[in-house]
Amino acid sequence: MATTPTSTPVPKTNRIGLSIAEYKGGKTTLCAGCGHNAISERIIDAMYEMGVSPERVIKPSGIGCSSKAPAYFMSRSHSFNAVHGRMPSVATGAMLANRNLIALGVSGDGDTASIGIGQFVHLMRRNLPIIYIIEDNGVYGLTKGQFSATADLGSKLKTGVINDLPPIDTCVLAIQLGATFVGRSFSGDKRQLHSMLKAAVAHNGTVMLDIVSPCVTFNDHEGSTKSYKYMKDHEEPLQDINFVPVFEEINVEYDPGTTVEVTMHDGSRLRLRKLEEDYDATDKILAVKRLAEGHAKGEVLTGVFYVNTQAPNFIEMLNMTDNPLTTLPESVVRPGREVLEQVMEELR
Amino acid sequence: MRQTFAIGIGGAAGQGVATPGDIFAKIFSRRGLHLNAYNAYQSIIRGGHTFLTIRAGPEKVTNMGDCIDLLIPLNQDSMNRHLALLSTGAACIYNADTIKPGATGDGVQLCPLPVSKLADITRNKVAQNTLAIGAGLNMMGISFQALENALTEQFKKKGEAVVTENVGIARAGYDHAASKFKPFAWPLPMTENRYAVLSGNIAMAMGGAAAGVKFYCAYPMSPSTGVLHWMAAHARKAGIMVRQVEDEIGVVNMAIGAAHAGVRAMCATSGGGFALMSEGLGMSAMMETPVVVIDCQRAGPSTGVPTKTEQGDLWQMLGAAFGDYPRVIASPLDIGDCFKIIPEMFNLVDRFQCPGMVLCDLLLSEGRLSVDPKDLGFTPVIDRGELITTANGTPSSPATSGDYRRYEITESGISPRAIPGVPGHVHTAATDEHDEDGVLISDEFTNTVKRRAMMEKRMRKVTGIEAAIPPPALWGPRNADVTLIGWGSTSGVIEEACEILSEQGISANQLQIRWLVPLHGEAIVEILKGARHTIIVENNYSGQFARYLRSESSYVPNGYIRKYDGEPFMPHHIVEAVKEQLTGKTTLSVPAHEIMV
Ligand SMILES: Cc1ncc(C[n+]2csc(CCOP(=O)(O)OP(=O)(O)O)c2C)c(N)n1
Ligand code: SF4
Ligand SMILES: [Mg+2]
Repeated sequence: MATTPTSTPVPKTNRIGLSIAEYKGGKTTLCAGCGHNAISERIIDAMYEMGVSPERVIKPSGIGCSSKAPAYFMSRSHSFNAVHGRMPSVATGAMLANRNLIALGVSGDGDTASIGIGQFVHLMRRNLPIIYIIEDNGVYGLTKGQFSATADLGSKLKTGVINDLPPIDTCVLAIQLGATFVGRSFSGDKRQLHSMLKAAVAHNGTVMLDIVSPCVTFNDHEGSTKSYKYMKDHEEPLQDINFVPVFEEINVEYDPGTTVEVTMHDGSRLRLRKLEEDYDATDKILAVKRLAEGHAKGEVLTGVFYVNTQAPNFIEMLNMTDNPLTTLPESVVRPGREVLEQVMEELR
Repeated sequence: MRQTFAIGIGGAAGQGVATPGDIFAKIFSRRGLHLNAYNAYQSIIRGGHTFLTIRAGPEKVTNMGDCIDLLIPLNQDSMNRHLALLSTGAACIYNADTIKPGATGDGVQLCPLPVSKLADITRNKVAQNTLAIGAGLNMMGISFQALENALTEQFKKKGEAVVTENVGIARAGYDHAASKFKPFAWPLPMTENRYAVLSGNIAMAMGGAAAGVKFYCAYPMSPSTGVLHWMAAHARKAGIMVRQVEDEIGVVNMAIGAAHAGVRAMCATSGGGFALMSEGLGMSAMMETPVVVIDCQRAGPSTGVPTKTEQGDLWQMLGAAFGDYPRVIASPLDIGDCFKIIPEMFNLVDRFQCPGMVLCDLLLSEGRLSVDPKDLGFTPVIDRGELITTANGTPSSPATSGDYRRYEITESGISPRAIPGVPGHVHTAATDEHDEDGVLISDEFTNTVKRRAMMEKRMRKVTGIEAAIPPPALWGPRNADVTLIGWGSTSGVIEEACEILSEQGISANQLQIRWLVPLHGEAIVEILKGARHTIIVENNYSGQFARYLRSESSYVPNGYIRKYDGEPFMPHHIVEAVKEQLTGKTTLSVPAHEIMV
C-alpha cells in the first residue's frame, strides 16, 4: 500500500517569499533540445535564487527563436519583442524613461551580430544597466539555418555549405567598447552558467553574455562548431566560477594565490578560481589578448573574461533625477510657463 | 496690398551674412513689426552663395515676398546676381572699394560706401557689413539708438572695446547715408507689439516641451537639426532627456522604448532618416505605443539638395511601414503652427495609441517668423488617454497578472495601456501579431479569427481619430473666381497670392490642408463642389497631394501649380500662374525662380 503524506509540503520560497513556480514562463514552442530552452531554465533559477522582483523586470528582445525565449520564462515580468536587431535602442529608451526597471535583454547571434551589430556596438559603449544575453547558435534558426556572423570560419552547414568568413567575437567587441561584465558560457554548462547569471544580476552596468546555445535542428551536426558535441570537446573554462550573493553567509575561505575575488556593487562576491595561472579578469588588455590567442588556437574559451565594478553606469553618468521620468507628476512633466517665457524673451 | 519692406543680403558662406540679418531682425521686431526671414544657402561651410531675405511690415508677413527694397551685396557675385531684379524705389548699398555695380532699372538708387575711408579695414574685416547696416537704417528712418542697442547686445560678450569699435563704424555708415543717400519713401512705422522671432525648428522643440515631452532623440540631418540643438541646449532647464543616437533606426526605436515605458517621446529627421524609421513606425503601430516623428522635408530623392525646400515626402510618409495601421499625419501651416501642432499631435497619439507624424519642411524649419508669444499657449491641455501608471488597488495576484488584457478588444479600438512595472498589469508587447493578452498568435497556429479581430480592433481607432480632427475650412470669399488648394507651408504665400489676385480683380479663396491623415475627403469635395476654378499648389514635381486627394476622394481640380527647383514659391509665381490658367492656356504651371540663389 502506498504511503500517504501526513501534511502537504510548503513550497520552498526565496528571500522575497516567492516560489520558483512564480519565475516560470509559458510553455516553450522551441524545438526539444534547443539550447535556448536550457538558458531559460538557468535564468529562472538565477532570478529565483537572487530574489529578483519579477514585476520590476523588463525582458526586451529582438526577433529570432532566441528572441522568443522571454515568453518561456518569468511570465510575471514585462516582455517587449521589438523588431529584428533593434532591441538595444528600445531597451535604452525604456531604461532612460524608467530607471527603476531591471532589464534582461535576450538576443540571438543573427539579431546581434548581423542586422543589429550597429545597435549592439552603441549599446556596449553606454554601459546601460542591462543584462544582455546572446543565445548564440551560429545560425539564423528562425529562418531555417543560414550562417550568422558568429559562425566560425570553415564550419559546415547540413547542406554542405562552408562558412567562408571569420566570426565576429561579440565578447571582444563588448570588452573593447565599454561593457563592464563580459563572459561566454555554454547552455550545457549548467553550473558555470548558473553562477554567471547570478553574478550578472548583482552587477551594476552592462553585462554581456555570449552563451553558445546549439540549434538542434540546423546546426548540431558533424562539421558544426556550435554543436553540443563540439562544445563538450572544446570548451576551455578560464576559471571555476563561484558566486556568493550578499544575503548569504560566506563560509568557505579562498586562497588568494589561486582565486580572484571581485566584490560586486551590492556587496556580493564573485570568486574566480583560476584555471589558468595568469588570467586576471579585471585586466581589459589581457582579456582581449587572451581571446585573440584563443581564436588563433581554435579554443572555445568560457568564463568571465572581464569585469569592472567601478565604472559608473549610463544612468548615473547622465545625472538623471532619482525618480523615474515616467512617474513624474503632470505638474513637473513640462517646463513651467516662466521657463518658456524666458526662452521667448531671449528670442525677442 | 500689405505694406512691407524687404532687405536682401547676399554673400559667400563665411562672409558674415547672418549677423546683419540678426541685427535687422532684432531691430524690426523691437519696433513691433512682423517679419519673415528666409535664407537661401548651400551645403558648404565656406564660399558658395548665400542670400538672406528679411521682410518686415506692420501686418503679418507670411512669406519672403516678391521684391527686394534694399539690397546689400557683400561681394561682386551677389551684386551680379541680384542688382537687375531691383525695381523703382529700391536701393543697393555696397562696398565701392571692391564691388562694381552693373546696369540698374529705372529709379533704383545706388549707394556706394567708401569703406576704407569710413573705417579701418585692417582692423575690422566685416566693416563693410556694419557700415551697410548703419547706412540702411538711416535710409529707413530708424534712430541710431536702436542700432546702438542691438550692436551692444551682439558684441557685449567680446568686451567693451569691440562694442565701441562696432558702434563707431555703424555711426560712420549712418552719418554717411544721411549726407549722401536718399531716404526710402516709406518709413517703417513702430507699433506697441513685441514679437519673438522663431524658426520652425525652435517652435516644434518648444511645442514638444510644452506638450510635456520627456524624451527626445535624434541623429543630425538638415534641416531638422535645429530641433536637436534647441533640445540639447534646453534639456536641463526644460527637464527633457535628450540623446544623440547612432542612426535613425536607433532613434525611432529608442523613442518608442521610452514611450513604451510611459513618457512622451519625440524625434525629428529629414527624408533620408525618415526612410530608416519606417520599420520602427510599424512597431509603434503594432504595439500601440504612441510616438511623434517629425520629418523636415528637403529636396530629394536621396541626399538630394540638403539645404533646399520641397514638399516631396508625402507619399513616403503615406507609405511608411508595411501593412495597414492607424496613424495621424499633419503638416504645420506656419512657424507659429509648428509650436501648436505638437501638443495637438501628442494628445491624439496618446488617445489613439498610434504613431503621429509631422510633415514639416525646410521653409518652416529654418525660416524665421515673428510670433506673438501670447498666441502660442505655453500650457496646452495634456490628454494622455487611457494610460495606467499605477496599480490603483488592482490586486497583484502572484499566480496571474490579474485580468488585465493589454490589447483588449473594445468598441473604440482603444485598449487601456499599462506601462511596464505596474503590478497586476504585466503583459507582452510584441511586433508579432498577438491576441488580447499580447501572446503571439503564430506561437499557437496562425489563428485567422484572432488576426482578423485584432486587425479590426486597431483599425477601428481610425473612426475616432477622424472624429477628433476638424475638417478643413475655406478661407476668403465664398464665391470666388478661383480656389487655390494647398497644404502645409504654402499657406502664407497662397494667402498673399489670393490678396494680390483680388486687388487685380480676380477674386480668390483658399483651402489649406493641415491634417493629411486621416483626410476629410468628403468634406473637401463638399467645399469644392461649388468652386468655379480650382488649382492645387504644391512644392513638388508630381503633385503628390493632388494624387493623394484624388485617391481619397476622386476629386480632380482644374489645374496645378508646382515648383521643385528647391526654392519656395513667391506670391507672383502663383498670381501669374493663376492668370495664365484662367485664360485656358495651360492646366499645369511650373514657375521659374528668377533669383539665382
Ligand atoms: C528586417 C528583418 N529582416 C529579416 C527578418 C527575418 N528573420 C527573422 S529571425 C532572423 C534571424 C534570427 O537569427 P538569430 O538572431 O540568430 O536567432 P535564432 O533564431 O538563431 O535564435 C531573420 C533573418 C526579420 N524578421 N526582419
Ligand atoms: S530551429 Fe534551432 S534555434 Fe530555433 S528553436 Fe529549433 S533548435 Fe532552437
Ligand atoms: Mg542564431
